[in-house]
Amino acid sequence: MGHVKEINVLIIVFTEMRDKLRKWREDNHRNSEQIVDVGEELINEHASKLGDDIWIIYEQVMIAALDCSRDDLAWTCLQELKKQFPGSQRVKRLAGMRLEALEKYEDASKQYDSILQDDPTNTAARKRKISILKAQGKSAEAIRELNEYLEQFVGDQEAWHELSELYINEHDYGKAAFCLEELMMTNPHNHLYCEQYAEVKYTQGGLENLELSRKYFAQALKLNNGNMRALFGLYMSASHIAASPKVNATVKKANVKYAAWATNQINRAYQLAGRGTKENKCSVKAVEEMLESMQITMS
Amino acid sequence: MSIKLTTQAYCKMLLHAAKYPHCAVNGLLVAEKQKEKKKDSHSTPILCVDCIPLFHGTLALAPMLEVALTLIDTWCKENKYVIAGYYQANERTKDFRPNQVAEKVGARIAENFSEAAMIMVDSTRFTMGCYEPILAIYDHHENKWKCRDCNADCFEDWCEAQKITSALLEGRSYESLIDFDNHLDDLRNDWTNPEINKSVLHLC
Repeated sequence: MGHVKEINVLIIVFTEMRDKLRKWREDNHRNSEQIVDVGEELINEHASKLGDDIWIIYEQVMIAALDCSRDDLAWTCLQELKKQFPGSQRVKRLAGMRLEALEKYEDASKQYDSILQDDPTNTAARKRKISILKAQGKSAEAIRELNEYLEQFVGDQEAWHELSELYINEHDYGKAAFCLEELMMTNPHNHLYCEQYAEVKYTQGGLENLELSRKYFAQALKLNNGNMRALFGLYMSASHIAASPKVNATVKKANVKYAAWATNQINRAYQLAGRGTKENKCSVKAVEEMLESMQITMS
Repeated sequence: MSIKLTTQAYCKMLLHAAKYPHCAVNGLLVAEKQKEKKKDSHSTPILCVDCIPLFHGTLALAPMLEVALTLIDTWCKENKYVIAGYYQANERTKDFRPNQVAEKVGARIAENFSEAAMIMVDSTRFTMGCYEPILAIYDHHENKWKCRDCNADCFEDWCEAQKITSALLEGRSYESLIDFDNHLDDLRNDWTNPEINKSVLHLC
């Protein structure tokens, strides 16, 4: 009886590990150390049980291994994939990523060029070349290449988002906003894009941008009322507008109302979160005081 | 004029950088508020007793930074602390120069605290063993940031800082480190990191 129980436990452990890896794959989590921990054991101890899943796991573990400077593990995974899929572009790209991790950027670039020679529409290879530019600190070139890429592949959301981040890091908020507008158009229900757009507008500054930011923070909240950044953002933008000498009494009154509403919601959220924990009491108090002090500056 | 770091402050800075090796990270340093200006106050170093990790990823957006600065300022007043410095680790390992974000936030802190320091983490020298301090400390002089050599003197107790930081890195304590971004994702996440503070004390 005991023997059967032991095997059952092992099977449970194995399925848990495999499911964890799948979840991390689906969520695109970059928890590379954990992936290496779980994945390495899975590959070493349970390869036979994985069936066809093993190939996608090799890929996932290889990329995580590169993140953790585990070239030994990355190499092993790459060899297995090369054996199983000789001549595959997807595997060639992984080989390129390994070269990138080793900072052999010229060799990596050549690898991607060879993929593009066979298949000029290979988006993965083009994006890796742009990542090389980013890794080398060549932001202007990366931005230029990414813009060219997007002229051809206008629906690539990952690329639009990457471009918005590149622009934000260069403090080119206008162009970052444009990228996020593209994303909001194609993903009208995505609260994160709304909220990020609002943050960019807020950072750009000026009364018009502040009002836009307030509207988009509000929109993000409508799409997801748990988005704390949107709630804080609504509070901050409404407060700044109300405190501005350039607004008339009606606008001021409306924004004071929005800010007051946000204050209530923020306080409620903190009360809910702080329930039962002694440490968080301090946070709650700090938030209350911060909100109170800002009320004074608004009136 | 110069600042010194406690083990807890140094530790949490490095844990933050270790948690997000593929991102830029930043945060604040806090010091105990001096009760009264001593006559030779310019020669007593400011001791940064704690560190508040702020963000990872995109650092160049204003609204959440403003929220964090205001909230932490209020928290400081409650605890008789003052925001005394800012740290940042850039996304690219080889890039450890202060950028516009670092200079802006540093300047803002310097407005309220004249001896504010800006600290850049040099990731190229970041090892598990922590054998040498990997910071570049910048002081604010006449509207410019000047780099000061960072050695064991910049720490309250470098040997202790080295030993404990290394131990926590080996133990992967960074997995449980909370920054302000984590707090905004889930308000129950406590950016004062009481558990890690306990671990540091425990190892002292």
